[in-house]
Amino acid sequence: MVLYDSSTLAGSISGSSSSSSKPPPFPLQREQQQDIDGHLAGAGYKVRSSELRKVAQRLERLETAMVNSPADLSQLASDTIHYNPSDLASWVDSLLSEFALNPTCPYEFVTDPVTNRTVVNDSWTTTATNMPLVHQDVSYEEQSLNNKLPIVTAMEEDSGIRLVHMLMTCAECVQCGDFTLATSFLEDMQGLLTQINTVCGIGKVAGHFIDALSRRIFQGIGGGSIDGGSAFENEILYHHFYEACPYLKFAHFTANQAILEAFVGHECVHVVDFNLMHGLQWPALIQALALRPGGPPLLRLTGIGPPSPDGRDSLREIGLRLAELARSVNVRFAFRGVAASRLEDVKPWMLQVNPKESVAVNSIMQLHRLLGSGPNRNSPIETVLSWIRSLNPKIMTVVEQEANHNQPGFLDRFTEALHYYSTMFDSLEACSVQPDKALAEIYIQREITNVVSCEGSARVERHEPLAKWRTRLSGAGFRPLHLGSNAYKQASMLLTLFSAEGYSVEENDGCLTLGWHNRPLIAASAWQAVPDAPAEFPAPDTHRPS
Amino acid sequence: MVQNHHRGCHHQDHQEIVRENKEKRPKFFINDHVDILIEILKRLDCRSLCVAASVCRLWCTIARNDSLWENLCFRHVSPPPSSLRSVVLALGGYKRLYMGCVRPVQSRLGRVRRASWARDEVQLSLSLFCVDYYERLGGGSSSNGRLVGESSPSSLMFLCKPVNV
Repeated sequence: MVLYDSSTLAGSISGSSSSSSKPPPFPLQREQQQDIDGHLAGAGYKVRSSELRKVAQRLERLETAMVNSPADLSQLASDTIHYNPSDLASWVDSLLSEFALNPTCPYEFVTDPVTNRTVVNDSWTTTATNMPLVHQDVSYEEQSLNNKLPIVTAMEEDSGIRLVHMLMTCAECVQCGDFTLATSFLEDMQGLLTQINTVCGIGKVAGHFIDALSRRIFQGIGGGSIDGGSAFENEILYHHFYEACPYLKFAHFTANQAILEAFVGHECVHVVDFNLMHGLQWPALIQALALRPGGPPLLRLTGIGPPSPDGRDSLREIGLRLAELARSVNVRFAFRGVAASRLEDVKPWMLQVNPKESVAVNSIMQLHRLLGSGPNRNSPIETVLSWIRSLNPKIMTVVEQEANHNQPGFLDRFTEALHYYSTMFDSLEACSVQPDKALAEIYIQREITNVVSCEGSARVERHEPLAKWRTRLSGAGFRPLHLGSNAYKQASMLLTLFSAEGYSVEENDGCLTLGWHNRPLIAASAWQAVPDAPAEFPAPDTHRPS
Repeated sequence: MVQNHHRGCHHQDHQEIVRENKEKRPKFFINDHVDILIEILKRLDCRSLCVAASVCRLWCTIARNDSLWENLCFRHVSPPPSSLRSVVLALGGYKRLYMGCVRPVQSRLGRVRRASWARDEVQLSLSLFCVDYYERLGGGSSSNGRLVGESSPSSLMFLCKPVNV
């Protein structure tokens, strides 16, 4: 490498990180020629291909440092030694060190393991030299307290943005199959995580995504399989998710309102719940039916849920609880539990639908699990939708996450998930009820892990947006029912009760969506089976086991 | 107690009546007329009613009567269907409904209240009340529901937390 005369370059360095006046490149040494990146060499810069990413990151850092402390630039311009800018790597390191030594500009200081140059004043270094140095806390002891808060935010934002970029790049590596580079990114990101606040904000979400990515990578290399968690755990996490944020409450109340309106005038009604859990949706419906003008109907509830491992019949226990409530309010009630570990294992004859009763099918975030297709089977969604249709339900309420997490490309899925779950975590910040909040986060974290690190039949969180569900359901012989203004009013009221002001309910062509700051996160819709044209299809026989 | 023999004294000189009234107990003692007392207490707001409950034992008993709280719940709404009472009583009573659901709902929604929402507010309160009852049911059984020894169901806790504006 040839060193330029520093005096000729002093004027061109200040104010920009890439010089416009490029001296012609000197002839390169033979042994270095293969290393040098060809594109940059054409522009006059010598950077080794293996160092490209690191140099790019440092340039970004330098730019941020320059932008955030313009006062130092003039100082920089008058400084004595400048390194050869065509040797981009060392040049940017030297400039970073200039900024580092300036006490009013406390940005993150990293020891470059290659050159072993510490860019921090010795009194600020921590012991390990191969880890990123200096938490903000240490450097701020040197600062006046006035500068403390704004600098923290700027630095954290900067680190947060960098973290997001790294996540995307790492995901891209994973998509390309370059696991070694992805692993090195993981290490970088872990290091960066120690420098930002992981209790809230981007740090927390990023932490979960980093975990999920590492699971995916190490699975790809041959690590263990991913445990989805026992049914009992899932129920508890679900319950706390219910308490901590309004998404499930919105889902339940909206679906109940639609079902209530559909059952007006009917005396024998049957509700099929695709995922009973603790049955928290049904007390409100039972109470509303008890108070409806004309008196309550006979209500049958069929709850589908996973089988309990230890001999407990959890479905039956929930049924008993609901029955007790129904008895207290004088509603004739009958419960039936169907234990199935997967929704596609349920057959319509198990539900024992009486032809005289009006049926409502209720699916809260269950249909997306049927979208996975294996190598030797089609996605079960079509089978399930067709037997739902054969029951001829008065109404089918569908609530799904409003996100596109079922795209074939991993990077697209990852990007979409990052945005979606960041928004969801933001909304969770507003919740102050512990331990609900912490457990709700674990619930969401499990979803993230499934979306990012699982594939094939293990990946059950295959969320699709409302538009896609509309197409799918219309194609399967359903027509949309508009959720009325009562549902909208109720949802708005429900949200006003929550302490955070960021939630918004929107009406979307007869469907309701609940979102955080105008980003819809969950969508509720109602459907009805289109009656078959008698000439075209034979009437389905609902009693034949399919 | 009220001096009954004063009834015959309205013919006396006014001055004498005033003098005698100063020395003796009042003619009219509200605790003797519980029906009037109830009518008065029925019209109080929640805070005043709670304060009234600490006046004396009689007032306390009356203030605890659920029908007063029923009045509070439906004061601004047209009279509810008759079936409502049995439902609410089964789910825990009007006082609980008011304190746990109607009051926080009304205060939270107060800043965006429109006239037509009063009935819907009550209905929403009822639904939330029902969920709360259901969770309390679950708290008793050993194998279901509440974690970690929480005695009060948390379904309504979001109503108890102060609103962050």
